[in-house]
Amino acid sequence: MAEMVKLFVNGEEVEVESGKNLIDAIGAVGIEIPHLCYHPALGADGNCRMCLVGIEDGRPPVVPACKTPAREGMRVQLDTDNIKKIQRDIMEFELINHPVDCPICDQAGECKLQDYYMAHDLQDSRMRVPQVTKGKKMDFGCGVVHDQERCVVCGRCVRFTRQITKTGELGIINRTDAARVNIFPGRPLNNRYALNIVDLCPVGAMTSRDFRFKQRVWFLKKDKGICHGCARGCNIFIDHNREKYKDDVIYRYRPRLNSLVNGYFMCDEGRLSYKEENENRLTATMIEGKETSFEDGIQRIQQELNQAKKPLMLISPNSTLEQQWAVKRIATLYGARCSGYSEGYVKAGDGDDFLICDDKSANRRGLQLLDIDCERTTLEQALGECDLFISFDNDPFRFGNNEELRNAIAAKRVIAISSHENTMTEISKVALPVASYSEYDGTIVNINNVLQSFTRAVRKNEERIDILEVTRLLGGAVRDNAHAWPGMKTTVEELAEVHPDRIPAEGLQLSVSEESHVSA
Amino acid sequence: MEVKILSEKFDIENAHLLEVAKKHGAYSTLDKLFAMEPAAVTEEVKKSGLRGRGGAGFPAGVKWGFLPKDTGKPTYLAVNSDESEPATFKDRYILVRDPHMLLEGIIICCWAIGCNDVYIYIRGEYTTQVKVLQQAIDEAYAAGYLGDKVAGQDFRVDVTVHRGAGAYVCGEETALLESIEGKKGQPRSKPPFPAVEGLYSSPTIINNVQTIASLPFILTNGHEAYTAYGTEKSPGTHLFGISGHVEKPGMYELPLGLPLMEVIDKVAGGVWKGRKLKGVIPGGSSTPVLTVEEAKTVTLDYESMAAHKTMFGSGGIVVLDETVDCVKLVENLINFYHHESCGQCTPCREGLGWMKKITKKLLAGQGTLADVDLLRELCDNIEMKTVCVLSAACTMPVRSYLDKFRHEFEAYAIDNVSADAKLQGN
Repeated sequence: MAEMVKLFVNGEEVEVESGKNLIDAIGAVGIEIPHLCYHPALGADGNCRMCLVGIEDGRPPVVPACKTPAREGMRVQLDTDNIKKIQRDIMEFELINHPVDCPICDQAGECKLQDYYMAHDLQDSRMRVPQVTKGKKMDFGCGVVHDQERCVVCGRCVRFTRQITKTGELGIINRTDAARVNIFPGRPLNNRYALNIVDLCPVGAMTSRDFRFKQRVWFLKKDKGICHGCARGCNIFIDHNREKYKDDVIYRYRPRLNSLVNGYFMCDEGRLSYKEENENRLTATMIEGKETSFEDGIQRIQQELNQAKKPLMLISPNSTLEQQWAVKRIATLYGARCSGYSEGYVKAGDGDDFLICDDKSANRRGLQLLDIDCERTTLEQALGECDLFISFDNDPFRFGNNEELRNAIAAKRVIAISSHENTMTEISKVALPVASYSEYDGTIVNINNVLQSFTRAVRKNEERIDILEVTRLLGGAVRDNAHAWPGMKTTVEELAEVHPDRIPAEGLQLSVSEESHVSA
Repeated sequence: MEVKILSEKFDIENAHLLEVAKKHGAYSTLDKLFAMEPAAVTEEVKKSGLRGRGGAGFPAGVKWGFLPKDTGKPTYLAVNSDESEPATFKDRYILVRDPHMLLEGIIICCWAIGCNDVYIYIRGEYTTQVKVLQQAIDEAYAAGYLGDKVAGQDFRVDVTVHRGAGAYVCGEETALLESIEGKKGQPRSKPPFPAVEGLYSSPTIINNVQTIASLPFILTNGHEAYTAYGTEKSPGTHLFGISGHVEKPGMYELPLGLPLMEVIDKVAGGVWKGRKLKGVIPGGSSTPVLTVEEAKTVTLDYESMAAHKTMFGSGGIVVLDETVDCVKLVENLINFYHHESCGQCTPCREGLGWMKKITKKLLAGQGTLADVDLLRELCDNIEMKTVCVLSAACTMPVRSYLDKFRHEFEAYAIDNVSADAKLQGN
């Protein structure tokens, strides 16, 4: 527990964390000090001068809050005429050479210049001389587009490439009002986290080529979610919208702060993985190449299961704990063997020492906790013996084909219960569409054993049920997510103390008794 | 009125050569120096009342006293030879005419503050100065005055010359440190102050060339000999660069405390061409201008300048005769500071360009009285809101012209005649 100090803001006593800078310390109790260049992940630079505050203790008249640590008894002034005037003046300086092209700016609606203009400025422009003109729509690489005229030269982007990615592609060239952010000639952004710059930019100077001009942000519903792009489980905002007469579509992911998992950032690949939620989805139930109703599909699967002597069920490392548990239970019901084999989700050597993992599935730890066998040899043996192969949204060929395995599976009666069209649906006798992760609730465990729960964000026009629901329709005992927990808690030691409805927002660090290394 | 303390060897031919300089007493204080405790040297400098000659006038000995003890890090000395303030031309004389006086001062300072590594940050445009200085350093190394054993003592002093790349802001002490470290020359936020965390995050003293060059005299002759010159609070002598509309512009060494008008009339030969005086810039372009009335009562010392709401600055006196157009002068000033703004802080980066354009608009005969008011207001809105004082170096003098010569600005706004048209009309 951090040491707390009492200080005064505008004469009111507040208790804040000692040693933190005033922006963070006072911000924690809900009092915002306007700032542009400071970012908690990048430290204080002190160049924007927007956070100047008065301190009544004989020090210079005003100090930058970002560089001033909170101390006992400090008297911080935010509401004096002097400070309000400074904030208005700084805003005026920020805006005199700004194009004020909000109607065509993607940042509009979540722009600090707009917010601070409303909160601290609200004066007419006094600029009656020509503005400084600079570069527009500059391609910085990695899908980042820069507008120098909108830029407030806060340097967050520059510090990100120096401190976080340590790639240093960006710099501020020139001085005075000719100062501008740029890349070195012919050396564009070249790192796997570059799009974070777009989030970091407090104004519309950095935009994402992918998102530009697609949506006005105020139409977007911003739901919390967890990225399923790899085993990190980065916390995200799923920004989606259902336009009139159209379907609920995801337009972007943005990282959401979780100091236990991903901090402030996420990788570009994960960020753009929202597209997979929109595209290439399995939409129709198919039986032997013919489209049919979902109910017929369920009925057919039921029949197949009843007839099969040795069914084999393949569970996905992307499914939630609850779904995996439900499939495991229904496997027992039908006397089926089950496997979590999913080498196809692993890109060996692709991970780094920051966020990106080799394992591109979101809940492999879940398979391990539920003691689901993931060995290839076991799968191959079971495959040889089985007469029915049901995949519960597991695509063994996700990253790269394996001709031998493909042929072995295709030789069987294959049922693919799948959220997407893929090799499995291609070779299946029956393909049944189900919901993907943005469309259901559940719990997953990341690579560092952090248990996180997430809730449904998207509601498609044609709603698909999730895997757990499918198992229920097939006669499974697990009714819903909550109903999965008592069983899991008694079976899995690590989950015994977990209260599924009381998982902290940051997730729950599971204490794993022994490192149960089960290979993919 | 003129005295010869710092400038003693300035008129001696080839005094920049070690052989000649030694004949005239260079490095003669070192025996005395190494017999003294470092603390005693600092004490002597404190007693001399020597103030920083870069412009701020902070007592040098006191500054040295801010160095923390036993940090486990080296202590650095950075000698500020970035002399870039318009109207200032004093350090260049020391660098060219008596560089060994500076090096001797450096050794004295190093002994006092326990420093072995010295950087001389010299402005890039000083090509001759750099050549002469480097030659002097090479000679001093060869003669054993610099290097591992200074004058045979078990005391190392290494001097590195670092050339600037033409940025005025690098004369700001923390921008200077950034520049030495190989970064873009941008001032740092303070605290921490350089004495605590300066060059390479180590304790660092930054002194002006003239400050350091004053040390040999003080140590040789004792602090009383130094305080015999000048006033009680502004003791000693100063190299004054007098320029502008005078009959005899030039660099003069004078004791502090002399009446300004007396210096202009008797030393610099008075306002040229028999014209009338309009005003005086007392200490470099960033110091607020003095009117004729103020010039008559001010004396050349820190206290009198402060009492007249201006600054002693760098001793660069510019005399303005009656023909000077203050609006054009202000345009020239803002041009310079706008160009030299490092672009880090919002008010300076955006504000100075705005001020420049407003002034240009006035000069084009297109301004209004509202523009004059806006220009005046912007001075207040920019000043002291930034990391360093570069913005204030622009707004302080501009404000003084607007307040003291406002009618000239208003004339442009009311008559709506451009400066060019005015010239042709005359």
